[in-house]
Amino acid sequence: MSILDEIAQGVIEGEATKVADLTKKALDTGVPPLDIINNGLVLGMGKVGEMFKTGEMFLPEVIFSGDALYAGVGLVKPLLTDGSMPSKGTAVIGTIKGDLHDIGKNLVGMMLESSGFTVVNLGADVSPESFVQAAKDNNADIIGCSAMLTTTMILMPDVIKLLESEGLRNKVKVMIGGAPLSPEYAAKIGADSYAPDSTTAVEVANELV
Amino acid sequence: MKSQFVKSRYEANEAVQFNVLSDNQCEEIFHSAMEVLRRTGSKVYDPDSRDLLKKGGAFVDGEVVKFPSALIEWAVRTAPSRVVLCDRNGKAKLFLEGKNVYFGPGPSNNFVLDPFTGERREPTTEDTVRAAKCCDYLPNIDYAMDMGTVRNVNLTLSDVYSFEALLTNTTKPIVHWGFDIPQYQDILEMCIAVAGSLEELQKNPFIAMYSEPLPPLRHSREAIAKAVFVAEKGLPLIYTPCTMAGATTPATMAGTIVLQVAESLVGLVAAQLKREGTPFIMGGLISIMDMSSTILSYGAPELALLSAGMSNVAQYMKIPVFSTGGCTDAKTLDAQAAIQGAMSILMAAQSGASLVHDCGYIEYGSTSSTEMLVMDDEIIGMVKRIMRGVEVNDETLAVDVIDSVGPGGHFLRTQHTRNYFKKETWYPSLIDRKVYEGWRAEGNKTMGARIKEKTQMIINEHNPEKLPEATLNSIKAIIQRAEQREAAQV
Amino acid sequence: MKSGYVANRSTRFSVLSDDQCREIVSASKEILERTGVKIFYQEAVEILRKAGCSVDGEQVRIPSRLVDQALRMVPKRVTLCNSRTGERVMHLEGYNAYFGTGSDTPFYIDPYTGERRPSSTQSVGNNCRVIDALPNLDFVMSLGISQDVPQPVYDRYQYEAMVLNTSKPIVVTANDAQGFADIIEMAEIVAGGPEKLRRNPLIVLYAEPISPLQHSMESITKLMMAANKEVPVVYTPCVMAGATVPATMAGTLACGLAESLSGLVLHQLTKEGAPFIMGGVFTIMDMQSTIFSYGAPEFHLLEAALADIAHYLNLPMFGTCGCSDSKVVDEQAGIEAAMSILLMAQAGPNLNHDVGYIEYGSTASLEMLVICDEIIGMARRIVRGIEVNPETLAVDVIDQVGPGGHFLKTAHTRKFFKTETWYPTLIDRKIYANWKSDGSKTLTQRANEKVISILESYQPEQLSPDVKQKLRAVVERAASKCQK
Repeated sequence: MSILDEIAQGVIEGEATKVADLTKKALDTGVPPLDIINNGLVLGMGKVGEMFKTGEMFLPEVIFSGDALYAGVGLVKPLLTDGSMPSKGTAVIGTIKGDLHDIGKNLVGMMLESSGFTVVNLGADVSPESFVQAAKDNNADIIGCSAMLTTTMILMPDVIKLLESEGLRNKVKVMIGGAPLSPEYAAKIGADSYAPDSTTAVEVANELV
Repeated sequence: MKSQFVKSRYEANEAVQFNVLSDNQCEEIFHSAMEVLRRTGSKVYDPDSRDLLKKGGAFVDGEVVKFPSALIEWAVRTAPSRVVLCDRNGKAKLFLEGKNVYFGPGPSNNFVLDPFTGERREPTTEDTVRAAKCCDYLPNIDYAMDMGTVRNVNLTLSDVYSFEALLTNTTKPIVHWGFDIPQYQDILEMCIAVAGSLEELQKNPFIAMYSEPLPPLRHSREAIAKAVFVAEKGLPLIYTPCTMAGATTPATMAGTIVLQVAESLVGLVAAQLKREGTPFIMGGLISIMDMSSTILSYGAPELALLSAGMSNVAQYMKIPVFSTGGCTDAKTLDAQAAIQGAMSILMAAQSGASLVHDCGYIEYGSTSSTEMLVMDDEIIGMVKRIMRGVEVNDETLAVDVIDSVGPGGHFLRTQHTRNYFKKETWYPSLIDRKVYEGWRAEGNKTMGARIKEKTQMIINEHNPEKLPEATLNSIKAIIQRAEQREAAQV
Repeated sequence: MKSGYVANRSTRFSVLSDDQCREIVSASKEILERTGVKIFYQEAVEILRKAGCSVDGEQVRIPSRLVDQALRMVPKRVTLCNSRTGERVMHLEGYNAYFGTGSDTPFYIDPYTGERRPSSTQSVGNNCRVIDALPNLDFVMSLGISQDVPQPVYDRYQYEAMVLNTSKPIVVTANDAQGFADIIEMAEIVAGGPEKLRRNPLIVLYAEPISPLQHSMESITKLMMAANKEVPVVYTPCVMAGATVPATMAGTLACGLAESLSGLVLHQLTKEGAPFIMGGVFTIMDMQSTIFSYGAPEFHLLEAALADIAHYLNLPMFGTCGCSDSKVVDEQAGIEAAMSILLMAQAGPNLNHDVGYIEYGSTASLEMLVICDEIIGMARRIVRGIEVNPETLAVDVIDQVGPGGHFLKTAHTRKFFKTETWYPTLIDRKIYANWKSDGSKTLTQRANEKVISILESYQPEQLSPDVKQKLRAVVERAASKCQK
């Protein structure tokens, strides 16, 4: 097994220390940093995503794989010139104002991160203004907005209206999710997409950027 | 007759005996929950409730409240060990005490499965009317809940409209919730319109109101404020966290019950501080996150196991408990829905949980189905027979009858069989026991098809007892006032 | 350090108190002493007379001391083995609950067409292959009758079809004692000789008295054959409350138990210490359809109550579950299977049969079988109960996560989520959108797909050609005798 295969395997096994050690070893032996990322770390994480989808892997294992991925990425990243670090884009996510239900939104955040997005997690009880401000501050590509209650989901259109009035609507895509929501509701309020769960959220985000 | 004498020291199981946790294990879990509240504490987002807890002796640091164990133990002692719920006419119906078990549906689903069209769609007030009618009709469903957040009305008053639908379409006790204090006020006024006065309602309550903290260890402003409101009004209060093992609680069953109990205790302490002796029912929904699909599972065996374990702890604390059963992860009424419904109902009954809710839930609680509710009613009938156990005495042992029939005879013609066969055996209404040919002759129907027919029959034909015209008008007026209030806020 | 701490290591369930068990056992002994049983086999009557029973023609009254003596003699545990490896895989003792199929259904549901067809040697073989593949099924009964072969010797064909297709322990039925003798011979061939079969039993014989309180010549000769050969035997009264026994549950238990205990007395008098498994398929006659109900709640209750009595007597027991009165694998089949399996898992009879029966035991369904395999998995998780210790209580982990955090990233979750939770193979927990995009399938449809996939791909461990040939020779010998 090549060292890159070993790194990929370490990511699949969710062994952060092992991945960090192997990454150091690879760098010491002169493997190009971008190679380590693309053909080791990201390759392993891609397999993790597939195995999660087919039911061979379970969520806590995926999360540990994500940590292992970043244990390696953290070592390689400083060696890359600006802009060469592959990132799929930046997503600002949060649970809408008045709502503290955030476990589903946190899941989406972790899955987006594991698949290569930069995630800014605003937490729960987030006002439309804060969503838009954070999108501006972080130069975001996506806003991910979650609601668990029919009484709070009705604030989601405000996020979109605010983006429009700030002239950002063309730049920032909006995806929504949460128990009372549906594709129909997303269409009705003018959101770009709806995701029923965290796996789909990653697929949707990939399509949006 | 064999026994002409009095038996001494004879211990009989009057019902099937079951427990998950020993008394020592219950105690250890209760102690651990108190330790969590002492050491880690809880975030309470309502300043008034924080003040209340502080005055009672809790330690408040910003939003975090930590609880001395003495305060918790005081609250557990102060809460009554029994809560009685009445029907709409004030007649006592549900005695939430000891190991009495009652079943009912669940609240606030985002979709309903229409029993006429088979369509999965957003709920309307008509769906809650249907739910209320089914609850009213079904003999083994003891109370009513809304079975969906209705979407055809002003969304901020959805809870008030669904309560109207329940109140006017069933006399059975109602368990309900609302978004916030103004809606609680509306619902309370509707109850008073029926009962005559708050005092009458307090004397013979036909409603229990619930609210939900957000595990781990968070109590939103509305959740705790609503609980304190209900306590202040002297009405039965359900405080019901909804926990997911591995996600919002530890992945271990014991740790999940620890947190579940800790969450409930915060509501209990606040309620008892607001009004000593508030009738309190601890919750609630306790299951796992499926680590493959990430749903909160309503059909996992762990849901049944955790609920039974939680009920054991509640019984140890002598507090009535709001438990879960009759629900499924299946998306349609199929054998999976049946299996998960049956297992969870049997376990809930065995655990002696007081108020078992979420009958009629399908699709991991996302959708409600009156057909599922109708099926659960039949399952509960079977389970009630099992729980009754085996009565053992000279008459039921029937040694004399066996002797008179003798080897090779039969019992069909004995007076003993005539006396007992109906009492000792349960006869089904939806379960089919015909011979094969008879079943074929009646159209090869699956139980699902028979359930659909019965559900449609109930909705089309059952006429629940009506409220007097004047009461209905008062209720309408309350809703109108609520609409004006909401309009003024926009 | 903890002192005086009592923990439940599993869920705890009982229908009857010890006092109630004692009273029912006492009533059974009273029935045997006062009313007695009819035994239609002279040799057996003589054995009982010599032991001290009071004999009046065919009616034999059995004194309690003989019942007590038999209960003392009989082994309290029976072990069963894998037929290929000889591994001791089932320990029928205490509360160990194992699950397996039922035997001899005249019909089966063809998984390819959905048609209800007469069972055959081939359907029996196929069914056994599916049972062999399912992880939660521990033993095998035929789940069909070989109706395509000469009926007087169908039992040899049936056993051959079974043992060729599964290595799990087999509970066998037979026409008569001669059938049993041939099957024992076949099992000896598989085991590698009579001594090896006695040491590592891989079959259990099945016989039943005729309720109320009668023992036919066939059942008694089978029972005595098992005793003499020291092959474990299940002797199982099938009683119908209200028809062949009283309509009361307690009376049903007392009368049915009397039938079992009289069988036990004769069995132990025939050969002291021979292995015996107490049976009992106790249910009601449905007074509307007159069927022997396989789905009634009273059935499950009676089985659970009998398990309490078996534990009280310290006898291995044959229980029943996973069966239904429904004619198709629908909601009803699901309810009846789930309830009966969970109750048996909780009550702990040792050898629980009839998994896979629909239509009150007339028809076998492989879809029902694979669904029950899943239910057994769920039930076993429930009965395992809740482990309580500082690590599982997780107070430190809770403190570390704190209010508003989550546990997904903790090492604690990673360590425990798989051991503390059960994961399904057929039960669907997908989100709605994924279930819909996968074809909106019901559980029964998914079960059918699983059955087909097992039938198409699964191969059980094979017997050696030599053993196969010897088995065939026994079958053919019996067939040629029967033609004469």
